[in-house]
Amino acid sequence: MFFLELIAQSLVQGSIYALIALGLTLVYGLLRILHVAHASLFTLGAYVGVLTHNATGSLALTLLAAMLVAGLSGVAMFRLAYKPLLKQPPHVALIASIGLFIAAEECFRIAFGASGLSFINTPLQGQVKFAGLQFKQAEIAVMLGAALILGVLAWLQSHTRVGIACQATVSDPQMAESFSIKLNTVRDLNFLVGSALAGFAGVWVAILNNLVEPTMGSVPSYKALAIIVLGGMGSVPGTLMAALVLGLVESFGTVYLGKVLDRNAIAFAFLIVVLMVRPQGLFAKK
Amino acid sequence: MHQPSSKLNTAQSLLLAMTVLGASSAALADIKVGITVPSTGFAAADGKSALDGAKLAVAQANAKGGIKGEKIELVVYDDQASPKEAVPAATKLVEKDKVVAAIGGSYSGSTRASASVFQAAQVPYAVAYAIHPDITKTGDYMFRVSAMGEVQGRGGAKLVNDLGKKNVALITIKNDFGQSLATGFKEGAAKFGLNIIGEHEYSLQDRQFGALVANVKSQNPEVIYASGYFYTAGPLVNQLRAAGVTATIIGQEGYDSDKFMEIAGPASEGVLVTTSLDRDSANPATKTFLADYKAAYNTGADMVAASTYTAAQVVIDGLNKTGGKGGAALRDAMAAGTYDSPIGKLSFNDLHEVKKDIQVQIVKDKAFRRHSIISDAVLLAPPSKSSK
Repeated sequence: MFFLELIAQSLVQGSIYALIALGLTLVYGLLRILHVAHASLFTLGAYVGVLTHNATGSLALTLLAAMLVAGLSGVAMFRLAYKPLLKQPPHVALIASIGLFIAAEECFRIAFGASGLSFINTPLQGQVKFAGLQFKQAEIAVMLGAALILGVLAWLQSHTRVGIACQATVSDPQMAESFSIKLNTVRDLNFLVGSALAGFAGVWVAILNNLVEPTMGSVPSYKALAIIVLGGMGSVPGTLMAALVLGLVESFGTVYLGKVLDRNAIAFAFLIVVLMVRPQGLFAKK
Repeated sequence: MHQPSSKLNTAQSLLLAMTVLGASSAALADIKVGITVPSTGFAAADGKSALDGAKLAVAQANAKGGIKGEKIELVVYDDQASPKEAVPAATKLVEKDKVVAAIGGSYSGSTRASASVFQAAQVPYAVAYAIHPDITKTGDYMFRVSAMGEVQGRGGAKLVNDLGKKNVALITIKNDFGQSLATGFKEGAAKFGLNIIGEHEYSLQDRQFGALVANVKSQNPEVIYASGYFYTAGPLVNQLRAAGVTATIIGQEGYDSDKFMEIAGPASEGVLVTTSLDRDSANPATKTFLADYKAAYNTGADMVAASTYTAAQVVIDGLNKTGGKGGAALRDAMAAGTYDSPIGKLSFNDLHEVKKDIQVQIVKDKAFRRHSIISDAVLLAPPSKSSK
């Protein structure tokens, strides 16, 4: 029973990690930029979500608004901050990204206050019981939501022209361009989708915790980096698997190793061990 | 060409001289009191409450004519609740601003770090709500208006005993605050014969407690003694209740903010908190403070605001006695005073710790109300010089 509950909690955590890390892996695959500021879009989505829900009371509108604002902000971030730096070595963009992330945290604090925001009527707080387990509706929703969205994305990527163009751009940008794929459109699209997913995750974390704070992105910012490294830098299926594995490792680690190691320390200890055995990541081919 | 430029220079230097003179004459007229608060970073919410509390005390003192007609000026530095930021902030207050006294409006880690700076400079430092034992042990210029972590922890164990419960799960936040509460709670638990059936820890950054909650649930405790701040405890309590855990939850002064009820929602009902601010107090000082704070900031005061207000009050009271002088005179004046404060009647022992009762508040209809008062002179005795 306890065991099942732990697995269920790992899945909830893993789904959130997957949603956040996917955007990061898309950006890394495409541009080789470690996009730390991605986590600030997660926070942005959470803020937009709480504000929209408190104003309208509609969950659908909340998710839509959060994904739209986070997605467009992601595109703006790319065009204004990363694009001018594409010719520089990758660490320049990384430094810019860290700067953006810190600036965003402070902007959130100035704009929305230091003590964070909560929902007036938190959606999906009801209890769901099955097989002796007890869940919050929101926990079920985040698992289903993540599975659905990631499934649709995977299908789009392999079955539509746009999706295939994205894949082509990742594997060989110059060749793709010579096949008249518009590089910039693909890049914009990538930032739009990846950032919208971060915003989506932000709303769910906001609902689960009923708290949105300026600093809520700080753990996801580096945790997501760990996940894409585990998943094999830029591999989408690898990232999803790594997110779930990390959810499991953290849940069981917290219970059985919690006395010795912090939850975040467990995650990174796991990363180090994996990299010692498989430097290319858990799921990369070589 | 030569002529106008020299005129400009003269004008500029005149202006500069006037500015400098103006500034320094203002500095001479005002009595500077420093305060370190976390204005940015993870503890910024508490930083705001702390600063608002101190500002209210200073504004009230200035409205009454200040110290012998001189205004008190509050010099504020952000320490981000981080030791590495706290030391430069304290050093600036001492070296650059030459404050006569300082108020500690921050967490234990950063307060411990700045304590030694103020002690070395012989600047009295009144600490509001940082509860680590080492702070007052730094030296005789240190004062603390709140109950130490160990004392609060022992009070928590007495509360469990008073409730007639035995089996306790301990959830501890991994920092100075949580560790000292847990130490005190365990001392008390041994004394009252409580069974600690599970010990869990989490870090300051955690907001999702899925695994921890599942673990606590499997142990089926009667009482959960969980340390944390409203921004960790809110999600924790919410998630405990969502998972179907019905045990009584006891928190401490870190929970003490209206934000806690906002975050935890209906799950907050019935949660007990050991703290220093009694919302249903009949004490005029507490009632006036709560009303004044509400009027000034249009939000309810919390424990942090009340404690920092009290720390400021202690400093101001001392300055009134010394006529604005700092150093040893101020230290002795502060140590000798008795204070009628929003957190009760206070006086310092030889280690400059306060002896006071612990207020137990319970969440009822989204507000903290009085539950009981823990009063036990022996159990709640703060450490003194002889016991250190």
